Amino acid sequence: MDSTTKEKQIPKYINPYFGGVLLGILILLTFYITGRGLGASGAIKSAVVTTVDKVAPKHTESHTFYSKFISSEHSPMSNWLVFESIGVLVGGLLSGALFGRIKKLRVEHSPKITKKTRLIAAAIGGILFGFGSQLGRGCSSGAALSGTASSSFGGLLVMLFLFGTGYIMAYFLRKLWI
Amino acid sequence: MNKNYIILFGILVVLSGGLLFLPEKNNYVEESPENLMWDIAQPTRYISTDQVAKMIIEKDPLFQLVDVRLDYDFEAFTLPKAYNIPIDSIITADASDILDIDDINTIFFSDDDIKADQAWVIAKRMGYKNVYVMKGGLNCWIRTIIQPEAPPETAPITEFELYDFRKGASSYFTGAEISIDSDIKKSVNIKRRKKENVAEGGC
Amino acid sequence: MGPLIPLGQIASGWDFIIALLIGIAFGFILEASGFSSSRNITGSFYGYNFVVLRVFFTAVIVSMIGLEYFDYMGWIDLNLIYILPTYLSPMIVGAVIMGVGFILGGFCPGTSYTAIAIGKLDAIVFTIGLFIGIFIFSEVFPLIEGFYYSDNLGNITIGEMLGISNRLFTFIMVVIAIVAFYLTWLIEKKVRKTITPYKFE
Repeated sequence: MDSTTKEKQIPKYINPYFGGVLLGILILLTFYITGRGLGASGAIKSAVVTTVDKVAPKHTESHTFYSKFISSEHSPMSNWLVFESIGVLVGGLLSGALFGRIKKLRVEHSPKITKKTRLIAAAIGGILFGFGSQLGRGCSSGAALSGTASSSFGGLLVMLFLFGTGYIMAYFLRKLWI
Repeated sequence: MNKNYIILFGILVVLSGGLLFLPEKNNYVEESPENLMWDIAQPTRYISTDQVAKMIIEKDPLFQLVDVRLDYDFEAFTLPKAYNIPIDSIITADASDILDIDDINTIFFSDDDIKADQAWVIAKRMGYKNVYVMKGGLNCWIRTIIQPEAPPETAPITEFELYDFRKGASSYFTGAEISIDSDIKKSVNIKRRKKENVAEGGC
Repeated sequence: MGPLIPLGQIASGWDFIIALLIGIAFGFILEASGFSSSRNITGSFYGYNFVVLRVFFTAVIVSMIGLEYFDYMGWIDLNLIYILPTYLSPMIVGAVIMGVGFILGGFCPGTSYTAIAIGKLDAIVFTIGLFIGIFIFSEVFPLIEGFYYSDNLGNITIGEMLGISNRLFTFIMVVIAIVAFYLTWLIEKKVRKTITPYKFE
């Protein structure tokens, strides 16, 4: 895999297996310390609940979904996953700075599509991912990665169907990427 | 493929293959024999029938009674709100749902001390905390609470106070038993304790 | 004996600091492995770059093996760790929806945060999409509540479901992963010869 890619511009990423071992050890450590795995979409959920609660507190009180996460004692933003996600952002910044990847705002897209198409696809993708993550009880990090790591059957299920669907859909949406 | 990866994969295979040869682990922490011997020698595990009666009457939520006799004895007569875990079932997983609850004290009882004591030793060895034995068992319960004997005239005043309490308790249990008979016998219909839902839907 | 926080061995005030530190490590690993680039991530689906599969599978098997050994050594009580509950059909539907979203958006939530950190506008749009998606879900929740809670199998593990021990499953998973690593390496070699070189941004 080294010789064939020499002429291309490859940013300095760490070896994927090394990254994987590090991530595995981090998950192990996370389970050891907190008793549960990593997550990401939970923070957005907290943000949604907080926003809706600010805008229409009556609505959230009576709503069967929002009311699960509203408590009078503390804000839904004071949540483990929110702090973890802020950490993810900081960690990304650190790594980006270290490897010199932080640049001005830009859009990454296949040369076959325009910037606008990419942004529209990203928005729709985000909406679908957000919706699906609630039904799936977590996203690729919470359910698929940490779930499977803790031998949860649901985690394995999410992993198989998430990537399986990805492969099926990849053919139809190949213009977006290659 | 880089040759060094073979080393990595080799390590992973050996580590995961090694798992298959590890002996099964007990999933509870056993009490050490020394501590157990020490505890057996202590009378602190005993709780008197008067204390038990008081707890039942006051509906103390921090205590639960466990009848370790066989189920037909349990059907015939038991204490109010008692669970039935026959002594040979104490090591089962179902029993752990009752016994392994923090902050709830479990009091074992049988006809006398002997079986309850045995149950206590087993439970203690399995690492359950907060387990006790009702001193004298149900025989003592009948003698002291259901049919208390009046102390002699010369007895100190505290004896009479105790007798009064027992008379009251007696009428509580014998009188009340008729009306609440149906829910006295809680069968061992144990629900598995749900895992703490730390982060449902969180990701 | 772990897990430390559920067993009360760490004062509760430390919770959020630990969360932040773990998050930083997570974000660093994701970004350093190249998950901040959507074209890098979706490479797994077109055969030109299997970095996601490598990192993901390695992480899963390392942590699975680690947890089993921690359990054996008595360092962690596996009964106390959170096993994601299984809701069969809602999870399958959710995962399928996420799969479509994944290939459209090119990110998943965690990776989009790291991409925001290095200045990707598409990641910002993706995250706003996430917000809207969860908002839509919450609003329609009363309509799909029955489905959301259906097919509950509880906190079931893979081993319990398949009738084998979790240790055996860990071993099977390692074998599957290594076979996958080898096959994807072959595929990648072949695809990279034919595909036009792509530029990371």
